[in-house]
Amino acid sequence: MPAIEIKNLNFIYSKKTPSEKHALRGINLTVEEGTFLGLVGATGSGKSTLIQHLNGLLKVQDKKHSSVVVNEMSATDKKTLKRLRFEVGMVFQYPEYQLFEETVAKDVAFGPKNMKLDKEEIDRRVRRALEVVGLDYEKFAERSPFDLSGGEKRRVAIAGVIAMQPKILVLDEPVAGLDPVGRDEILALIKKLQREVSPTVITVSHNMDDMALLADRIVALKDGEIVADGTPKQIFGNRSLILDAGLDLPTATRITDKLIANGINLPHDIVTMDELAEQLCRLKAAKLAKANDCDKSDGEDDEDV
Amino acid sequence: MPQIVLKGVSYAYPIKEGYNVKALKNVSLVIDKGEFVALAGMNGSGKSTLAKLLNGLFVPSDGEVLIDGLSTADEANIFEIRKRAGMVFQNPDNQMVATIIEDDVAFGPENIGIAREEIIERVAYALDAVGMSEYRTRTASKLSGGQKQRIAIAGVLAMKPDILILDESTSMLDPNGRKEIMDIARKLNDEGITVINITHNMEEAVLADRLIVLRKGRIAMDGTPKEVFASGQLEACGLTLPPVTQLSDKLRQGGFDFDGVITAEDELVEGVCRLLK
Repeated sequence: MPAIEIKNLNFIYSKKTPSEKHALRGINLTVEEGTFLGLVGATGSGKSTLIQHLNGLLKVQDKKHSSVVVNEMSATDKKTLKRLRFEVGMVFQYPEYQLFEETVAKDVAFGPKNMKLDKEEIDRRVRRALEVVGLDYEKFAERSPFDLSGGEKRRVAIAGVIAMQPKILVLDEPVAGLDPVGRDEILALIKKLQREVSPTVITVSHNMDDMALLADRIVALKDGEIVADGTPKQIFGNRSLILDAGLDLPTATRITDKLIANGINLPHDIVTMDELAEQLCRLKAAKLAKANDCDKSDGEDDEDV
Repeated sequence: MPQIVLKGVSYAYPIKEGYNVKALKNVSLVIDKGEFVALAGMNGSGKSTLAKLLNGLFVPSDGEVLIDGLSTADEANIFEIRKRAGMVFQNPDNQMVATIIEDDVAFGPENIGIAREEIIERVAYALDAVGMSEYRTRTASKLSGGQKQRIAIAGVLAMKPDILILDESTSMLDPNGRKEIMDIARKLNDEGITVINITHNMEEAVLADRLIVLRKGRIAMDGTPKEVFASGQLEACGLTLPPVTQLSDKLRQGGFDFDGVITAEDELVEGVCRLLK
């Protein structure tokens, strides 16, 4: 069952004014449940506009010809809009800026409270959400979110979304501005959330290394249109398409290209550093084996003489 | 020639009544004119505190910060110090003071009473230096993050500074924006401006000539990026080696016997080709 079905979606900012901007053009996109989708594209390509349609933050402008359906609920149907918002968890850029409550527990409880859950269920969800993001309830629940480190704040913000137990998790640049330790932790957390809470994940990112490693499927936008759609290997394997879409290559792919240009025999579709290391080590081992063989046969020749 | 001198600098700030956090502990440091220094460390290591001590935004709780011999603790010096050491902050959206770009760049020199003709000259120079001359009369709201940071740098350059401090100025930018800022920093450094880049991105740190790593408010390492990476201590400081250096380490385990530390893609490519042929 598709988790998301978008048909012919267009969006124009400041319609009929001099600063009118066509942000999305004829987007058709179906995302199956269980997908980790990487949404990529240059600044201004329409990524944020697209994801804001998934929970009705931006309204479908031309209802006659376009539709956005999430878990069989239309984003234009007012009756189901509230439920839709609970099922699509949005983690915006720098979500820690949106923390506002006096304590961590209250902040995380904000979403479940809006869902009109009973007190016990809210408490259960807050505990569970903090546990999932790796923050000890006893230690953090009563602290002010503003006294926490940057990485901890971001976890609290994510916990607030997770507490609504969304079926789809949408994250806009989830690791922007974090230090390397914070980055690795949040990326590992997103994988964990996909396993334990939200089976479908959409991540907007500029980091092709992360996307090559994490995404099952990558969709690239350029000037409001989908210009590429496929697995990381399909996407990054097609160099002319990457160039057209104005995307960067993952580091591993870029180095692979340089090595190929220098006569090293490598497959064209390497996208992660581990793959590249494995391939190169294999070549190195093959070279050693060959050298040993030569030594051996040299030795045998000597004996013959 | 020493330009920035820190002598036993500590800095503490109160988080609640009677309770202080020591962000920097007895840091001594000399930076010479014309250096390109990366100042790195994880969140909470004290790197941004150190940056803010360099132009007198913070004054040491203990010890002394001297810029060209002028102490930041002396209120009378602050004006001169801020003219010499300009700072660009993290968030591109928080640094604009005027609507029109050339007005924004002119703001600093106007404030210190520079003559109109010279302001015009300085603004032209500054916008040219960051490659934004054609945007002179436009508004800032439609610019990309990288372009906004370039305007912020131009605002600093219009003050004719000797020192440019980038306080995580690239951390909110996309890869292209990052590269734009680093290219400009390198160019300005080539023209003689001392650059101090505060970052936790090691791909950026390798672009500096000297890398200082802070850990828990103290200097943990100080050397060329290669020296620091070779020390094996980076991860203990909450930082990670650049991807290409990590790859070279994996390859070493597979029998690639590289000379020295690899920090650039071309170095790696050259080494692999040599060892496979």
